[in-house]
Amino acid sequence: MTGPVASAVVRAAPRASRGLWRDALRRLVRNGPAMLGLVFIVIFVLGAVLAPLIAPYDPTIGSIVQGKQPPNMTHIMGTDLLGRDEFTRVLYGARISLTVGTVAVFFGLLFGCLIGAIAGGAGGAIDGLLMRFIDVLLAVPGILLAIGIVAWLGQGQIQIMLAVGISYAPIFARLLRGSLLALRESDYVIAARSMGASPARILLRHMLPNALTPLIVQATLAAATAIIDVAGLGFLGLGPGDPRVAEWGEMLTDSARFLQSAPYLIFFPGAAIVISAIGFNLLGDGLREALDPRLKR
Amino acid sequence: MLRFVVRRVLGAIPVLFGLSVILFLFLRLLPGDPAIAILGQHATPQLIAQIHETLGLDKPLYVQYLDYLANLLQGNFGASIIDSRTVVDTFLQRFPVTVELTIGALIFAVGLGIPLGRLAARHPNGWIDGLVTVISLFGISIPIFVLGYTMVYIFGVQLHWLPALGSIDPRLGVTAVTHFPIVDAILSGKPNAVIDSISHLILPAIALGSIPLATVTRITRAAVIDVSNEDYVRTARAKGLTQSRVDDRHIMRNAWLPVTTVIGLQVGSLLAGAVLTETVFTWNGVGSWVVSSIQNHDYIVVQSLILIFATIFLVVNLIVDIGYAFLNPRIRYS
Amino acid sequence: MALLSVRDLVVRFRTHDGTVNAVNGVSFDLDEGETLGLVGESGCGKSVTNLAVMRLLPSPAGRIEGGHVYFESEDLVGLDESEMRELRGKEIAMIFQDPMTSLNPVLTIEEQMVETIKAHKKVSNKEARARAVELLAMVGMASPEKRLRDFPHQFSGGMRQRVMIAMALALEPKLLIADEPTTALDVTIQAQVLELLSRLAADHGTAVILITHDLGVVAGMTRRTNVMYAGFVVESATTADLFARPSHPYTVGLLHSMPRLDAEPGELLIPIEGTPPDLRVMPAGCPFAPRCAWRVPQCWTENPTLEPITATADVQMTGPNATHRAACWNRPTAEEAAAGWPLRAGFVAAQDPSEASR
Repeated sequence: MTGPVASAVVRAAPRASRGLWRDALRRLVRNGPAMLGLVFIVIFVLGAVLAPLIAPYDPTIGSIVQGKQPPNMTHIMGTDLLGRDEFTRVLYGARISLTVGTVAVFFGLLFGCLIGAIAGGAGGAIDGLLMRFIDVLLAVPGILLAIGIVAWLGQGQIQIMLAVGISYAPIFARLLRGSLLALRESDYVIAARSMGASPARILLRHMLPNALTPLIVQATLAAATAIIDVAGLGFLGLGPGDPRVAEWGEMLTDSARFLQSAPYLIFFPGAAIVISAIGFNLLGDGLREALDPRLKR
Repeated sequence: MLRFVVRRVLGAIPVLFGLSVILFLFLRLLPGDPAIAILGQHATPQLIAQIHETLGLDKPLYVQYLDYLANLLQGNFGASIIDSRTVVDTFLQRFPVTVELTIGALIFAVGLGIPLGRLAARHPNGWIDGLVTVISLFGISIPIFVLGYTMVYIFGVQLHWLPALGSIDPRLGVTAVTHFPIVDAILSGKPNAVIDSISHLILPAIALGSIPLATVTRITRAAVIDVSNEDYVRTARAKGLTQSRVDDRHIMRNAWLPVTTVIGLQVGSLLAGAVLTETVFTWNGVGSWVVSSIQNHDYIVVQSLILIFATIFLVVNLIVDIGYAFLNPRIRYS
Repeated sequence: MALLSVRDLVVRFRTHDGTVNAVNGVSFDLDEGETLGLVGESGCGKSVTNLAVMRLLPSPAGRIEGGHVYFESEDLVGLDESEMRELRGKEIAMIFQDPMTSLNPVLTIEEQMVETIKAHKKVSNKEARARAVELLAMVGMASPEKRLRDFPHQFSGGMRQRVMIAMALALEPKLLIADEPTTALDVTIQAQVLELLSRLAADHGTAVILITHDLGVVAGMTRRTNVMYAGFVVESATTADLFARPSHPYTVGLLHSMPRLDAEPGELLIPIEGTPPDLRVMPAGCPFAPRCAWRVPQCWTENPTLEPITATADVQMTGPNATHRAACWNRPTAEEAAAGWPLRAGFVAAQDPSEASR
């Protein structure tokens, strides 16, 4: 007996998907605020990297005679108490924020992912112990942990990088561990295993991309917090410690008493911090939406 | 439910122990001789010997730790090198100031954040939602100290609406009884002192509360939107209930659950942020004390303060977790 | 006069990815006390039609863009929200598929039942509570007073659905819409719940619209059944007639793709080829054409309307003598319906003209 003769015509899907990353990139580029954030970040990075080339003055040299000038033609952001050009100092401050901030996030990723991977991979008692350690770190809230570590290690750029990095490690550790645990038992990994895929292939093609995306988003958002935390440490007098180095937080502390007479000395470094932070926050949010389309707004 | 509470409390204890070990080591592992690090310029052989005596630096490490632990459990948190007062004494004097600041910030963040979040959720992607999103973005992108100084400049320097520094005008002669600025002002019986202390709280509370405001708003919005899409909300509408009844009884009662968890976490943000806020507005709370102690190398104080901060944070989280379990019938009755 | 009269209802959803044509001109009537089955696969528009009747479409995406819904001669489409609210729960009630997610997890059963009653009737808490106990007893719950204070998660799936039924019938509505009431339940419980529904509806004279994707559910439960596909009603008949003489290729396909205990050994299950249509792109012809074994060239170009399968002057929309209607240019014969595929010698299903030109 013959079966039905109908030939099935399946309508093609409206847009063929071309891989996770390319799709995500396309979504990201279409995201207005995220692109604005990217512009801010580019401005910040260019300012930092090109400071020695585009800064009109030397950040450490100034004469008190020329101090506390409001913004004018020769000094577009004015001069600070010691007569140093504010615009130059803001540019050089970007270098500190950029280097210290990004390295801090990198350290956080390093420590966090190490701990998270071991905990998630080994499981059992090791997992329990490591997570308890993370809980201890998390018990000291926010910037207080970084403050404590700087108090212990002393001042300096590297110490700040470590301090801020360690204070972010718990978040990354938990993220990675959570991803690994969830993925180990997820339906599609079991499906891949049942099809005979080797563990390495499973790890690379199935688990990593999914574990990576929350980390990428979190790292971007952490960059925003890092810029703020680094400036915060500088503000509290726990900054790099070198008086010749221009750091945004320290610039704020130095100028605080001139709030009434020279508010621009607070406004410009403050605005620089805010714009850089907004940039990373917007990009981070955009990445989150682009990389996980299932998330409804 | 009881089992849940007991389990949580038991779980917190090892964390505190671990923290005490780390903080204990913090002091002992300072580069060089801890006594010299603490004393700094004031180091004389006499004082160094004294510190060694007090901290028991010559004894084996584990003995030192047990002594340290014993002291802690008896409420002995050490004393300040600078003014020789015990940590506990100064803490009792400074802590209420921080508490008042934190409560003020919390009231601002939650009191404004939840209504804003609900408003944004009612018209997703509308102009109110966009405005709320922008406010949230600025909330997390503007550091406390930048916001603080900006507000002081606008409202204090230019407009003269609000005072800039401190928790109260010292010329009003309010005696410190409880060390809560507003409570002391009320107790002094002078109405303009009360007004004065409240007006001193406004700017710092806003500065400190800016990040929690952004987070609470975002989470409330997300929670309300998620819950609005749940089946039981559809059932409620199908029964012919009014929109306000649906909003309050069905949507908010369920949206509260994730929001309370977030508020608990924000307390940590408030404690950490108090350090910066008290520095900007020169309030004499424990936050500014941490900073001055570090600058003065008063490490015993730093060690004890961090431990206290962490304990407070853990306790608050514990209370929030238990509160959540209480609010959620699925956990309460299981 | 029919209790409910839906005429040319059109519902569309406007989304980022385009406009979804969920319901495309659906018409049917329902008498008082009558049970109507609405059958079709996911996405055919059966649930959306009824959400539209209740005016519970998710806004702003979902909108009624045409047609009328006459309930006791009043057009519900034009009513404002407060007027609709008075009808909901009181005159028209709806129960949903998943009783776990359809009940508020943080409120007790008592609170949820009492608020329904008090929303529409001025009674005291005590009276409402007494009524709630009465209703729970009616649906067969043991020790109703005690269980009133429990939370939804403390009930089993079947009990929860009974609670939903009790809540829906609390104010003795004239129409009850049951959207896949047993799909989320175990098979053994399904029969119990359906039987309960049937009995209560008969006792109170409630009209019922029973929505399901399972033809087996409507058998014995409903007087009439409409089959829906891609937002259209493709066949409408009394349930008995529908099973005896399915006259639309889709209905034939549905009947033959159901495994049955009384099937002959060796009898093949005949799945319907192809996949459900993309409702964002409405074809010019019959939406079932791509999957239809009986299609003729006209099927690709013109969408058939519901016509009686035997010519008759007097078309009955409701009642035990409702006219059997189908929307098809080339209806299966009785033998073909029994066999499950076309039996005419040399018949080949017409090709898609847009493909032929390649």
